[in-house]
Amino acid sequence: MDEVLSSSTGWGRSIHARSFDRSENIVEMQKTIRSIGGERGALAVGLRRSYGDSALNSGGLHLSSHQLQSVSMNPTSGVIRVGAGLSIASLETIALRAGYFPAVVPGTGFVTVGGAIAADIHGKSHHKTGAFSSMVMSMKVMYSDSSVRELQPTGPTSKHFWATVGGMGLTGIIVEAELQLSPVEGNHFNVHEKRSCDLNELLFDLKTADLEHDHTVAWIDLSGSYCGRGIVGMGDFAESFSKKFRNSPKQINFPLKPKGSLITPITVGAFNSMWFKKPLNSGTSSVRAFCHPLDGVNNWNRVYGEDGFLQYQFSIPDGEEEFLFTVLAKLRELKAASFLGVLKRFGASSPGYLSFPSPGWTLAVDLPVSIPNLERTLNEFDAELVNRKGRVYLVKDSRLRAEYLPAMYPHLNEWKEIRDEMDPQKLWNSDQARRLGLC
Amino acid sequence: MLNSFKTPQRIALIGGASEIGNAVLRSLPQDGIEEVIRFDRQTSGFDAAIENARREVVSSMFTKDLDVAIIAIGALGNQESTTEEANLLRVIEVNYLATAHLLYLIASKMVTQGHGKILVISSFAQERPRIDNFAYGSTKAAIDFYARGLSHKLKNSGVEIKILRPGFVLTRMTQGMKPAPFSISAEQAGKIGAKLLQGRSTIAYAPTILRYVAIIFRNLPEIIFRRLG
Repeated sequence: MDEVLSSSTGWGRSIHARSFDRSENIVEMQKTIRSIGGERGALAVGLRRSYGDSALNSGGLHLSSHQLQSVSMNPTSGVIRVGAGLSIASLETIALRAGYFPAVVPGTGFVTVGGAIAADIHGKSHHKTGAFSSMVMSMKVMYSDSSVRELQPTGPTSKHFWATVGGMGLTGIIVEAELQLSPVEGNHFNVHEKRSCDLNELLFDLKTADLEHDHTVAWIDLSGSYCGRGIVGMGDFAESFSKKFRNSPKQINFPLKPKGSLITPITVGAFNSMWFKKPLNSGTSSVRAFCHPLDGVNNWNRVYGEDGFLQYQFSIPDGEEEFLFTVLAKLRELKAASFLGVLKRFGASSPGYLSFPSPGWTLAVDLPVSIPNLERTLNEFDAELVNRKGRVYLVKDSRLRAEYLPAMYPHLNEWKEIRDEMDPQKLWNSDQARRLGLC
Repeated sequence: MLNSFKTPQRIALIGGASEIGNAVLRSLPQDGIEEVIRFDRQTSGFDAAIENARREVVSSMFTKDLDVAIIAIGALGNQESTTEEANLLRVIEVNYLATAHLLYLIASKMVTQGHGKILVISSFAQERPRIDNFAYGSTKAAIDFYARGLSHKLKNSGVEIKILRPGFVLTRMTQGMKPAPFSISAEQAGKIGAKLLQGRSTIAYAPTILRYVAIIFRNLPEIIFRRLG
């Protein structure tokens, strides 16, 4: 390899890697894989929205899925076959034009289909639809011997399929996927919101909203008194077509490149108080405004300054709500304010060995890494999560200690066995895999 | 791997008994450290003077990714050997030959893994030859020179070389000697070393004021400098 090392970072910009970056088509990828040497291996990467080091491979090869953008669709069945490099935003546009919509879309449209499978991502619809893998009918995966094989959720290839779902790209390169889209009549969402004054009320409102709506999520105010007040957002796909939402809205660039973080208890406190009191949304909303609210601003991650930030997302089963109160109290103690606190209920889990969602609650919190004692506190949270049968989400993680992983992911050993069978050469690797001892 | 707090996961300390080396370790944030590997003569039988021992030790460090290596071997010379000639050979062997070789070997491995930090302990004595420690100072000047050059060479590799230049540190090595001005404890030197490892700069003096003292020290006319000595 005579390329120059390039520097890349996770979405949180708090963790960096130097590696060899290439963007190739399938045939070129196969050739590269056959010729690859050295001990650092290769990793497929997409749009780099994972927060930490799951899409970083220091000293090794990054194979971008950018060129894998093929699309072919059966307009009567709603089955679409797409290249793994296609973004969810593009998938939504293509699907809507044919009168369909993906049942599961994440909080940003800027993730690839390959990444969505590798992290088994979830969206606001999880309580009804499950995770992204529930839409995947089959996928083509490039193995480390350069063969491309078709994997299905049932039958003889199912083990490899479910090891690749949530497998963080460590089983092979997902090159293509066949997805079942859901038929829709409209092109936008009917939405409404409800304010909840404390955490108990918020939990109750979110539970109630889940019974009636297909898409639910709660914003939680992590500042000031940390009482857990917030806004529950509810949405359902509209049954009518509106011209207003025909074109996707424009994106603006985050205009600053601050050295230090602009996220401080004072700025967040002011923003959150204002946001909590904003007029509640009721009526219609574009797909992006409802599903991907942060996509309107490009590079918003720069707001955290040069040191960057992390997202701590965990899930806990029903009955362990007490832990959410503990988290609020501890964050208050740390003066760790966040403008992005997202609470959501999960429905049934998928059969993916390392799939994150499991029935109960999930909380995601964006925090600047510069908060004093944050590392120790998050480690304490992890220890508590293990006691409560909770887990952290790997695609957001950049600091979990390896010792907690087996308890959080009880199928880890089975996954490792299948992984070794799929990749006997141990070609696929990532910095996260090294940090957590996944490979 | 370093996590998002830049906390190292695996650290190697070469010269495992070094007081400064251990103080640096203690001053690093402890929450993410999973493994510290120590190499020294007493407990692991590592003799830095043996070329093959250095090779073996370095390859044994890299069974997994290594985030930080602290090279803290060193000889002052005057206490360990009796003759001036033996002193000279001993300080060259440990402070320059062995240290530079270890630095080279570790850096090469870290370049392959695409990341890593190496702390080298230089000395204020490398600033200018003084009558009481110029042999020692010359070896520190040599390793400092090599480390600076290597640091420059590796600037785009993801590997960082950090150079700590302590003044008089009150340790076993300096026991019985008359403390020089600005002398500090190993603990204080360790704090500065840890900060250097986590920060962006390449070189740090311990105590930090020596940075300015060094400027005067280097620029004094020889005729005055000799009288001071």
